[in-house]
Amino acid sequence: MEQILKDFISALRSSGARISIPETIDAMNTVKLTGYHNREVFKDSLSAVLAKSFHEKEIFEECFYRFFSFDTFSENIGDYPESLAPEVMEEISPLSQMILSGDLGGLASSIREAAREVHITGIQFFTQKGLYIHRILRHMGLDKLKLDVKYLFQQDTFSSKQMAEKLEKGKDYLFENVKDFVEQQFALFSPSVTENLLEDYLKSIKLSNLEQRDFHRMHSIIQKMVKRLNDLHSRRRKTSKRGQLDFRKTLRNNISYQGLLFDIQWKKKKIDRPDIIAICDVSRSVETVARFLLLFLYSLNKSLARIRTFIFCSNLIEVSHIFDEYPVEEALVKLQSGMGLGIILGRTDYGQAFRDFEESWFHLITKKTTILVLGDARNNYGDSQAGILKSMHERGKRLIWLNSEPRSFWGIGDSEMKKYLPCCHLARECNTVHHLERVVDSLLSLES
Amino acid sequence: MNSRHDKKFASIENVQQGFKDAEYICNKKIATTVYLAYHLEKPILVEGPAGVGKTELAKTAAAFLGVSLIRLQCYEGLDESKALYEWKYGKQLLYTQMLKDKLNDVLKGAKGLSASIDKLHEYNDIFFSRSFLEPRPLLKALQQKDGAVLLIDEIDKSDNEFEAFLLEILSDFQVSIPEIDTIHAETKPFVFLTSNNTRELSEALKRRCLHLYIPLPDPKLEREIIRIRVPGISGKLRIQLVSFIQQMRELDIKKIPSISETIDWARVLLLLHADKLSTDLISETLHIILKFEGDIKVAEEHLYEMTRRAIKEAAI
Repeated sequence: MEQILKDFISALRSSGARISIPETIDAMNTVKLTGYHNREVFKDSLSAVLAKSFHEKEIFEECFYRFFSFDTFSENIGDYPESLAPEVMEEISPLSQMILSGDLGGLASSIREAAREVHITGIQFFTQKGLYIHRILRHMGLDKLKLDVKYLFQQDTFSSKQMAEKLEKGKDYLFENVKDFVEQQFALFSPSVTENLLEDYLKSIKLSNLEQRDFHRMHSIIQKMVKRLNDLHSRRRKTSKRGQLDFRKTLRNNISYQGLLFDIQWKKKKIDRPDIIAICDVSRSVETVARFLLLFLYSLNKSLARIRTFIFCSNLIEVSHIFDEYPVEEALVKLQSGMGLGIILGRTDYGQAFRDFEESWFHLITKKTTILVLGDARNNYGDSQAGILKSMHERGKRLIWLNSEPRSFWGIGDSEMKKYLPCCHLARECNTVHHLERVVDSLLSLES
Repeated sequence: MNSRHDKKFASIENVQQGFKDAEYICNKKIATTVYLAYHLEKPILVEGPAGVGKTELAKTAAAFLGVSLIRLQCYEGLDESKALYEWKYGKQLLYTQMLKDKLNDVLKGAKGLSASIDKLHEYNDIFFSRSFLEPRPLLKALQQKDGAVLLIDEIDKSDNEFEAFLLEILSDFQVSIPEIDTIHAETKPFVFLTSNNTRELSEALKRRCLHLYIPLPDPKLEREIIRIRVPGISGKLRIQLVSFIQQMRELDIKKIPSISETIDWARVLLLLHADKLSTDLISETLHIILKFEGDIKVAEEHLYEMTRRAIKEAAI
């Protein structure tokens, strides 16, 4: 049973649940306590020990159901000849005997046995399925079975011919069942490898080419990234001289001076956190990229305390509250459709957007603020208002421009990037997650 | 945890029954987790929507074991001086002033500075001893002779740093106080942590706990809960009320009503001597279940049909 539990845990791991060694030990102890006799209790107790979040509980449920289902032989093989001559029975292999006597349980367990012998847990790619089916069948003694069929045909009696036919049929069933079993095992054990491959691939693919279905994976990649970087950079605290008197600390430090208060301690701790204003273009020219840029902003919004988010097309609006209120999918749909937000989705107008920003929100920029502009700078030959950007640049700490187009396209056609470029501390091409990663790093680091 | 409770924890059914006697209806899953936590001596991390009885579970466990409940409410900025221990600074100061005169007696016979200091060293760090220690909830829980139920409420509200600081207590049931020593638990407390999932907890913390997710209850369980908690209510009203609440959870509202709200509502209806639901009665008492103006508006739109369905369900 220990082996089965180990297999189950590795199946869970490959489905994406993170299970550590102490948890595995806990699982063993748990099983010792509760036993196997009650499926419900067994499941509940393993779930308490192994799955540690709502998401993992879902994975667990599915895995448990798949792993501990014993419906391998779904169909009955058929009727069997009542009287088998004992001498014939002795001649044929155990596998054939099982098929002829309809021992479904025995067959199921011998499939499992064979699967373990050929290390089914090592299956990684779907192309290996055929190989494993073959190996399992051979391990179960398919060759002997074939010989038995031949032998029975040669016997030339009615009952033996009938038996041979049954056996032939049984062989097909066996093949089907082993195939199902391998499929099942593949689903259990393989996804992690595929998932890792996919994750690497997703990171380097252009954001505009990403499909809707990969959206969730992307979300989690970005979340991971933002969290990691945030953890790395936002933990700076320093005691500053202003603020409240820390009475306890003062008393404690002054005990050595007979309680005379002359080494005074202050309470206030200052936490250095990045202060960000993000302005994102959501017009049609950047539509596909915008979705992922917004996704990125959403994750930033969740992990940073001080961030104000704005989107613009023909005019500019603030959307920080949307990010706070709605879950990710809803928020993005709301922002992209622009319904009820007061945004006009007409011609992209960078000039108007900057004017709007200057009018209502310019005071938000302090000398600690990092301004982040996401857009392709394609202004439909309108007024660029680079002057406003310049004053934003001067007032804030840093201005970073992320352009979805490669550098060689900047300034070509209606792109105003060449005009905006001198007003940026940093301008980068940004259309893959790798690019994003680099930008976030420089965003959160305080020195650069 | 004390072995004297072994009898109460002899089987999962015992736990379930014991909790039921303490007016807490729990399903098999909850009972199994509590049972395991007792035998494996591990804390339980309870997650789930607000108001499904996470805190109540800990309270009931305390009542079931017959030990005291020590509660630590977490919030942003909570640190070890509020959670674990603090020195009694005032007392230390007062004592130094009072004992100043005694100093001469103590140092009598000592010649020279180093001899005096050696003499003082004989007294160890008397000002940093246990009698000057102010225990806060965590330390208090470790010091209970008969064991205790320690409830660390809303752990997700605290900072990451505090979470890391909890690890020592959760895995080894001990705390290190630099001035004294490591203090071990007299009897291991039964620990519950609750979380509303406002942020992801660290892997390290999760690894040390058993995890329990309590979802909103199904109608059958909810009726049972109402039956136990609000005994005076009629059977018909109980079915109507639960059906109505269950329908309400399907609506697109900001804060869906939880068990605690169902119980409150049932109590109100009992006070109003209602024996069946009607649209008027519901719209008068809707503010008890719903806490947002917008939600009440949404619910009012569907009021008639939900009431009708609830009444129909009770008639079956």
